[in-house]
Amino acid sequence: MARFRMLLVNEFKLFRTGIPIHLVAILQPTVMYLLLTVILVHPTFDMYVDRPSTEEGRALVSAMREVGSPIGAPYINPILIDWDGASVSRQVIAVEERDGVTTAVQHYGLIDSNLVKNFRNRLTAAALRLWNADLGARAVTVEEYAWLPQDVPYSLYFGMALLPMTAFLAASIMGAILTAQEFEFRTIVEYQLAPASISLVLGARLARLVLSALIAAAILLVTVGLVTGYWPGSLLEVALILLPVAVIAGCLGVLAGLLTRKSIPAFLVGLVGSFVGWVLGSGFGLAAGFGHSYEFISRLTPFTHATELLFSNYYGAEIGHPLASILYLSLGGVVMLVLAGLAYRWRVMRQE
Amino acid sequence: MDRSAIVVDGVTRRFGDLVAVDNLSFIVQSGEIFGLLGPNGAGKTTTINLLTGMLRRDTGQVSVLGYDPQTQARQVRQRIGYVPQETNVYLDLSAVDNLWHHAALYCQDLNGVKDRMAELLQLMNLWERRKDRVRTFSGGMKRRLALARALLHDPELIFFDEPTLGVDVQGRHDLWQHIEALQAEGKNFVVCTNNMTEAEVLCGRLMIIDYGQAVIQGTPEGLKADLGRDIVMLRTTPPVEDPADLFAAMGVQAVTRPTVDQLRLEVKDAESIVGELVFRVTADHRLESVQIARPTLDDVFLHHTGRALRE
Repeated sequence: MARFRMLLVNEFKLFRTGIPIHLVAILQPTVMYLLLTVILVHPTFDMYVDRPSTEEGRALVSAMREVGSPIGAPYINPILIDWDGASVSRQVIAVEERDGVTTAVQHYGLIDSNLVKNFRNRLTAAALRLWNADLGARAVTVEEYAWLPQDVPYSLYFGMALLPMTAFLAASIMGAILTAQEFEFRTIVEYQLAPASISLVLGARLARLVLSALIAAAILLVTVGLVTGYWPGSLLEVALILLPVAVIAGCLGVLAGLLTRKSIPAFLVGLVGSFVGWVLGSGFGLAAGFGHSYEFISRLTPFTHATELLFSNYYGAEIGHPLASILYLSLGGVVMLVLAGLAYRWRVMRQE
Repeated sequence: MDRSAIVVDGVTRRFGDLVAVDNLSFIVQSGEIFGLLGPNGAGKTTTINLLTGMLRRDTGQVSVLGYDPQTQARQVRQRIGYVPQETNVYLDLSAVDNLWHHAALYCQDLNGVKDRMAELLQLMNLWERRKDRVRTFSGGMKRRLALARALLHDPELIFFDEPTLGVDVQGRHDLWQHIEALQAEGKNFVVCTNNMTEAEVLCGRLMIIDYGQAVIQGTPEGLKADLGRDIVMLRTTPPVEDPADLFAAMGVQAVTRPTVDQLRLEVKDAESIVGELVFRVTADHRLESVQIARPTLDDVFLHHTGRALRE
C-alpha cells in the first residue's frame, strides 16, 4: 500500500509536466458549459408586441401570457413597445385592421428558420386560446401531461449530460499525454526494467486519472448547481456512476499513449473520443428522442448509460434500463482494464 | 567458486539484415569496472540491452549474476541498476521525488529507503538541491542523480551507458570518482563509452567492440603494451609521396596518412630511429613537426580495425 501511495503521489506531481494540458482537460467542459448557457434554449421567449389600441389586441396579449407549461414556465413573455412600423430587430407582432378584419401580423427581422418556427408556434398557441371556443368541432385541443414534477431548464440537462464527458475528457487526455510522454522522455525505461507488477504501475496511474476525472466533474457539478439551482440527489451515486466512465476513459488514454508513443496523436485520440462520444451519447437530449438509429449508436457509448443513470439523480425520474446500464459500464471498465494491461505488457514489458 | 558477474558466450542479435551483435563472448569478473569501448553504432547499447533483458538474443548464452536475463528477467532486474545513455529522470519532479518513484518500483523492502536516499544524495553532492526540480540541474547533476537512482535499490551490478556524455570537465571527474568509490564498496560496473580517457581512467578491463564484434579485450595498459610499438607523427612540406620507399629497411611496421601532409608511423622503438628518420625526410622535404607518442586506445582500435575510434 505504501508503494502504491508513493507512486500515486508522484503521479499527481507529474501535473507539472504539462500544466496547460491538465488545465484544459479539467476545466474545458466547465468553461464550455458556462459559455453555452448564454445561448442555450430557454422555454420563455421575449416577444415584442406593438402596444395594442383595440380590445382584440389586448385579448391577444392576455392569451399570450397564458400560454405555457402546465406545471410552470410560461412560453411567451410579451413585451409591449411603441413600434414605428418599419424597423424589426427580431420579431414584432402588430394587431392591424386588414379589409375590416382585425389581424395579428408577425413581422420578422434577420433570424433563422428555427427561430421563426418557434416564434410562429408560440403565436399560434396564443391565437388558439382565443379562437378555440368559437371553432367548435374544429378546435385544436392540446392535452399536456407533466412527466416530471417540475419544469427543469434545458441548461440542467445540458450540464448533467456534460458530466460523463467531463470525466471522460479529463481521464483520457491525461492518460494519453502522461503515457506518451514516458516514451518521449525515455522514462519508460524505468518501467521496462522494474520488477514491480503491472497492476501496481497501472493501478497507480489509473487511480490518479480517475481521481482527476472526478475532480473535473465535481467542478462542473458545482457550476451547474450554481447556475441552475439544481443539485443531484446523491453525490456518492454520481461519483459511482462516473467512476466506470473514468476507468474506461483512463484506459483509453493509456492505450493511446502506449500504442502511439507520441503526445499529439495520443492527445487527439482522447479529445476526439470524448467529443464524438458526447455528441453521440445523449449530449443534447435523451437518446430515445432522436430516433432508433441514433439511439442504437448512442447506447454503444458509455455516455448514454451514464447520462440515463444520472437522470434519476437530478430529475427524480427513472429512464432507460438502469441495471443494463450499470452492467454495461462495469463490463466496459473491466474490458478496458484488460486491454490496457495487455497493451502495457506488449509495449513495455515485452523483450523485443 | 565462480567469480564471474557476467558470462556472455557466442551471443548474436540481428535487426532485420543488420547484425547488431555478432557472436560476442566475454566475461566480467566480480568487483571490476568493465568497459565496452567502441564508436557510435558499434553495438555497445545493444549489448547492454541484451544483458539487462530488454532485448532477446538470437543465439548464444548469457548469465548475469547467475541468471539468464531472457528467462529469469525478474531475478536479474532485482539485482541490477541501469543508467541509460539519455538521462531519463523526471525533469519536473524533484530529486527526492525521482528517488521515491524509483523506490516504489524497484526496492524490495521500503524500510530504510529514506536513509539510503539521504546517503546517496550526499554521496552525489545533491543533498542541498534535493527538493529542486531536476529541470534546473546541470547535465552532470542529472547524471549523478541517475546514478543515485540506479543505486537506490542496492544493486550488485550497474550498467552505465555513456556515463559522462554531455557532462562538463568538472562533472566528469566527480562522476568518475563516485564510480570508483562505489567499486571500492564492492559494486560491479559495466560502462559503455566511446570516450577513451574515460575508458582508461575508469575501466580495469575493457573490450573494444566494432560492428557488433569483439575486436580485442584486456586491461587498458595491457592492450596498449600489446601493440609493442611507438607512434611517430611527421608533418612535412611538401608531403612525402612514397613513404614505403623513403623509410625502407628502418623497421617501420605500418604507415598511415591522417592528413595530406602528415604521416603516422608505427615503429618498435621510436627513440632509436628518430634521428635516421629526420635525416631521410629532410633530404628532400622541410620537416614542419615531429612527435613521438606511446600508443593510445585509439591506436589500439586503429591497429585492430584499420580506422580511428572517432570516425
